[in-house]
Amino acid sequence: MKKIAKYFVLLFSLAAALLPVYWLITISFKHEVDQFAVPPKWFWFTPTLEHYADAFVTRSFGQYLLNSLFVAFASTACAVVIGTLAAYALARFRLPANLDQRLALWILSTRMFPAIVTAVPLFVIMRDLRLVNTRLSLIVVYTGFNLPFVVWMMRGFFAEIPRDLEEAAMVDGDSRLGALRRVVLPLVTPGLAATAVFCLIVSWNEFLFGLVLTQTDAAMTLPVGIAGRVTQYGIKWGAMSAAAVVAMIPILAFAMSVQKYLVRGLSLGAVKG
Amino acid sequence: MAPTPDLTPAMRRSVSDRSLACLLLAPTIAVLFALTIYPLIYSIKISLQSESGNWTLQNFTRLISDHFFLSALAHTVVYAAIALTFEFLIGLGLALLLSAQMRGRSVFRSLLLVPMMLPAVVVGVVWRLILNSNFGALNGTIKGIGINTDALTWTGSPKLAMASVIVADVWQWTPFMFLILLAGLQAIPQEPYEAALIDGASGWQTFRHVTLPLLKPAILIALLLRTMDLLRVFDQIFILTEGGPGFATETVSLYIYRTAFRFSNFGYAAAMSFVLLLITNVISVGYIRFLRTNEARP
Repeated sequence: MKKIAKYFVLLFSLAAALLPVYWLITISFKHEVDQFAVPPKWFWFTPTLEHYADAFVTRSFGQYLLNSLFVAFASTACAVVIGTLAAYALARFRLPANLDQRLALWILSTRMFPAIVTAVPLFVIMRDLRLVNTRLSLIVVYTGFNLPFVVWMMRGFFAEIPRDLEEAAMVDGDSRLGALRRVVLPLVTPGLAATAVFCLIVSWNEFLFGLVLTQTDAAMTLPVGIAGRVTQYGIKWGAMSAAAVVAMIPILAFAMSVQKYLVRGLSLGAVKG
Repeated sequence: MAPTPDLTPAMRRSVSDRSLACLLLAPTIAVLFALTIYPLIYSIKISLQSESGNWTLQNFTRLISDHFFLSALAHTVVYAAIALTFEFLIGLGLALLLSAQMRGRSVFRSLLLVPMMLPAVVVGVVWRLILNSNFGALNGTIKGIGINTDALTWTGSPKLAMASVIVADVWQWTPFMFLILLAGLQAIPQEPYEAALIDGASGWQTFRHVTLPLLKPAILIALLLRTMDLLRVFDQIFILTEGGPGFATETVSLYIYRTAFRFSNFGYAAAMSFVLLLITNVISVGYIRFLRTNEARP
């Protein structure tokens, strides 16, 4: 009896979590007459791909998608390379006056800034540098966004690798960096991959800086493009839903691949920009 | 560890290690400096200058008498407090339900996490499709059972708009609480529970005196991280209501955004952002201190 009640509560929660997403997906495949029928059509309707064609062929969402992909991958690559080097230094070297500890905490604390606090001055700075409405501005900002996270995640992964392994390689004649590349990096690859996936998620989902720094089709990311449609009059619900579904798919795929690291990632501020 | 018989090469290495460390750290420090410290200094400068470039405190004195700012602050606190309460209670309930070994647990766990992973924009679109007063799924369903929905305009009504944006937040972020608390529960060893069983403790007593104290670190982490995010909430509200109708759901971040990017008053926006920074800073200092004591333990 208790067990049945438990499964009932769980199924109810599952429905609450997933039905709204399911509703979005159905809207994106429905003809306009079916979209807002009363009572709502949850299951039986004639599916159509017209909204996907409308969004990605007729409207500019295809361009937004490309921008999002470009910005997400470029900023992730930058953050992972720069951050991993720093993480290695923080995991292996003791600096005088506990400087390594303090530096690590300072790096983490930059992750705790509310985005809007830096968005205001960064917009003015980017405007003066004539970088507003470029993908470069977003790549730079997202790199900075993800860096503290990469440093802390990778520092943890490096700390789990026994020092003896590199020291043995160094006795065999490797330099410090040679040992890092030949011995340590292959061992942290799973952690490195998970860290990169978290960065992709953050960059892909980020909204505020995208909104502030890009207003033209050439640079605008998918979330900003969708939001622009939402807040206008005469919303094309179908096209917007289709774009939202496309924005959601890579994230869910990414998220499934980092399940194992999710708790560690989240407590260091992953996912939320 | 055995003492090294020959100290000189080790010492030489430690000097070269030190310069290597600086080299490896330099790019990170440079990027973070350029993207956080420098903008903050810049922000201080623009908040202390009037449009003609004179030094002035007027942006800060204006804060105290600005009713819009004070009510945005009040909205933020109400939003954060209510959302945090629901997210914590529901998240804890779900974590307790799923902490025992059961069939299909990992499937439940993965599927319950879906809302948290979604881009905020998608969450906004989802809830717009559900809450739209004319053709949303919610009012459609209510109408379907024959109830009049004219008064239920959700995001369009000053009274229901705040509740609507809170529901969307609770929907998206309860999974976060759930996940952190579940991880905390699974880290608790079995022995205290066995002892409680032998002592004949009731279910509630076990929860109150065994589970809760041992779960405290996870609870603190989850609450701190959520509080920080809630206080700076922007994305979902921007897409769901844009702070409206009127001013009903305007939070501090939204008001700062509007001041800077709609009214081009960057100085005043910067001044307000320092208040937000101060509030979240107090909380993040607590968080980092907590993390440090936890790190030192093992």
